[in-house]
Amino acid sequence: MSFLRSLSVLLPVVLFACARGEETDRARGESAAPTIVDDFGDTVALAPARRIASLNPTTTELLFTIGAGDRVVGRTTYDEWPAAARAVPDLGGGIRPNVEAVLGARPDLVILYASNDNRDAARALRTAGVRTLGLKLDRVADLRRAATILGPLVEDTERALAAADSVEATIARVRASVRALPRPRVLWYLWDNPLLVLGNGSYQSELLDAAGGANLYADRAEPAAQVALEDVLRRDPEVILLDSGRVAPLRASPRWAGTAAVRGGRLLPVNDALLNRPGVTMGMATAELARALHPGWSGP
Amino acid sequence: MSRGRPQGTIFVTLAAVLVVAVVLAVALGTLSLSPGDVLRALAGRGDDVTISVVRSLRLPRVALAALVGAALAASGAALQGVLRNALAEPYLLGVSGGAAVGAVLTVAAGLAAVLVPIGAFGGAIVAILIALGVARVAGGRADPRVLLMAGVVVGAFANAVIMVVLSNAPPNILRNATWWMMGSAAGAEWPLVRWLAIYVAVGLAWLLARARELDVLALGEEPAAALGVRVERATRTIYVLAALLAAATVAAAGLVGFVGLVVPHVGRALGLRGHRALLAGSALLGASLLVLADLVARIARPPGELPLGAVTALVGVPFFLSRLRAAS
Repeated sequence: MSFLRSLSVLLPVVLFACARGEETDRARGESAAPTIVDDFGDTVALAPARRIASLNPTTTELLFTIGAGDRVVGRTTYDEWPAAARAVPDLGGGIRPNVEAVLGARPDLVILYASNDNRDAARALRTAGVRTLGLKLDRVADLRRAATILGPLVEDTERALAAADSVEATIARVRASVRALPRPRVLWYLWDNPLLVLGNGSYQSELLDAAGGANLYADRAEPAAQVALEDVLRRDPEVILLDSGRVAPLRASPRWAGTAAVRGGRLLPVNDALLNRPGVTMGMATAELARALHPGWSGP
Repeated sequence: MSRGRPQGTIFVTLAAVLVVAVVLAVALGTLSLSPGDVLRALAGRGDDVTISVVRSLRLPRVALAALVGAALAASGAALQGVLRNALAEPYLLGVSGGAAVGAVLTVAAGLAAVLVPIGAFGGAIVAILIALGVARVAGGRADPRVLLMAGVVVGAFANAVIMVVLSNAPPNILRNATWWMMGSAAGAEWPLVRWLAIYVAVGLAWLLARARELDVLALGEEPAAALGVRVERATRTIYVLAALLAAATVAAAGLVGFVGLVVPHVGRALGLRGHRALLAGSALLGASLLVLADLVARIARPPGELPLGAVTALVGVPFFLSRLRAAS
C-alpha cells in the first residue's frame, strides 16, 4: 500500500522529469548545432529538419537525389524532377509564397530562394516560429554550397557532398574532353521582345563555357543581357541556342538571315528541363550542350 | 439634413457590413479552419500554426486592408469635393505615379525591401509638391482645374520615368516592381499596421474637421468666398491632406486603384448627404470593400494570390453598377 502510494506520488514526478529531460535534450540539440548565416543574412541552426518545405527546384531535386525526399513536405509548382517530387504538395510559385499555405504544410524548415521579394515571407515564417533558410543559388559553385548546408539538415552530409562531387566531376570531364576542339561563337537566345541573350552572370554561361562554346556576350555581367540586333549581327554568332519553338521563326526571319548560324543551319534547341536550374542535372546538361556544339564528339 | 433615407440607418448598415466583412476575412483563408479553431486561436489557444495563421497573418492583413480602403475612399471623397470634379481621385493627382517612381527606384537600386514603402512615400510627397508648384506657376492660385491638370501631368511624367527605369531592368526587379504596382496587403505586419492606423486616424479626423469647408466649397468658388471661406487656402490644405492620406496607403500596400474614385459615388448613391457623412460613410464602405477584395485575392486561386488592385475593381464594379441602377 505504501509502495503504491509512493509510486503514485513519484510516477508523475518521474514522468515529468523524463519529459523535461527530453525537452532540454532537444533544446540542447538545437543550440549545440552549428549555425550559418544564410543569403538573407539570417542565422540558421543546422540541426536536423524533419519536415522541409523546399520552395526552390534546385534544393528539392538535391534533397530527393540524396535520399531525403521523405522529409520534403512542400515544393513549388516548378519542382517536377524527379517524378517522386510531384507527389509532394504544391505550395505555389516559390516567389512571394502564400505564407498561410506554407504553414499549413507544418514544416520545421522552409527553404526559400533568397531574392528581395521573398524577404517578407521569410520574416513572417520566422515570426510564426518556423526556421527559414534563404539560399540564392545562381552559379555552378552554389550547388556545393547548398549541399554543404543541406547535408547536416538531413543528417547525411556524405551523400550531399557526393552529389556535388559527381556533378562537378562530370562538368570537369566534359571540359577536358572538348579542350582541343574549336570553340564556336554561341548566342544563347532567351527572349525576343525585348531581345534578351545569355550574359555571363549565371550557371548557364559557366556550363556553356565548360561545353566548349564561346558565349557571344561573355562581356556582359548580367544573367540575361538586353542587346540590340545590330550588335548581334556585328558579332556574328556561329551557333544560336534557343527554345525549340523559336527555331522555325528565326530561320525564316530575314533579319537573322545574315548570321553564320542561320547560313550554316546551326540553330540548336536547348533542353529546358535540363538547363533551367543550377541543380544536380548540370553535369548531364553540360554533356548535352557539348554534344550539340561539337558534331561527332564522342563523349566525356 | 437628411433627405431620403435617414443617415443613422445608413451608418448602422455600413458598420454592420464592415463587421461581417471582417469576420469573414478572419474566418476564411487558404487553410480551412473551423470557426471554433479560429475563436480559440484568437484567444491564444490551440496549436501554434493555427495561432500564427489567425493572429499574425490574417488579423494584421484584415486590419491593413481596412485602413487602406478607408483612407483611399475618404481621400477620394475629399478630392472630389474640393476640386468639384466627379472624376477626381488620389491616383489621378500624381500621387500614385510619384509613389511608383519612388518605389521602383528603391527596388531598382537594390535597396532593402523595408525601404520600398519609404521610397514610395517620399516619391508621393515629391509629386504632390511638384503638382502644387506647377499649379502655382500655371494658375497663380489653387484653381481646381489647374490643380487637376498639374496632377495629371506629373503622373504622366512619372510614368515615363518608370518605363525608362524598367525597360532595361533584370527580370527579378521587374517582377518586384510589377507586384508592387498591382497592390497587395500580403506584407501586413503589426508594426506597419499600427503606424498606418495612427496616420489614417489623424488624417481622417482632420478631413472630418474640414467637412463644413468642403460643403461650402462645393457650392462654387464665389459663393464660398462670399460665405467667408478663404477659398485658396482651404483648397490647398484639403488637397494636401487628401494626397498625404493616399500616399500613406500606397506606401503600405502598393497601388490599389478604383476605391478612391468609385466609393464616394456609391456613398452618394446610398443617400449620404453632406461631406461629414460622405467622408465617414465612404471610409466605412472603402474599408469593407478592401477587406472583401483582399479575402477574394487570398482564396480565389490557392495557393497563389491575385493582385489586390485588380480584385478591388472586379469586386467593386458589379456593386457600383447595381447601386447606379437602384439610384436611377
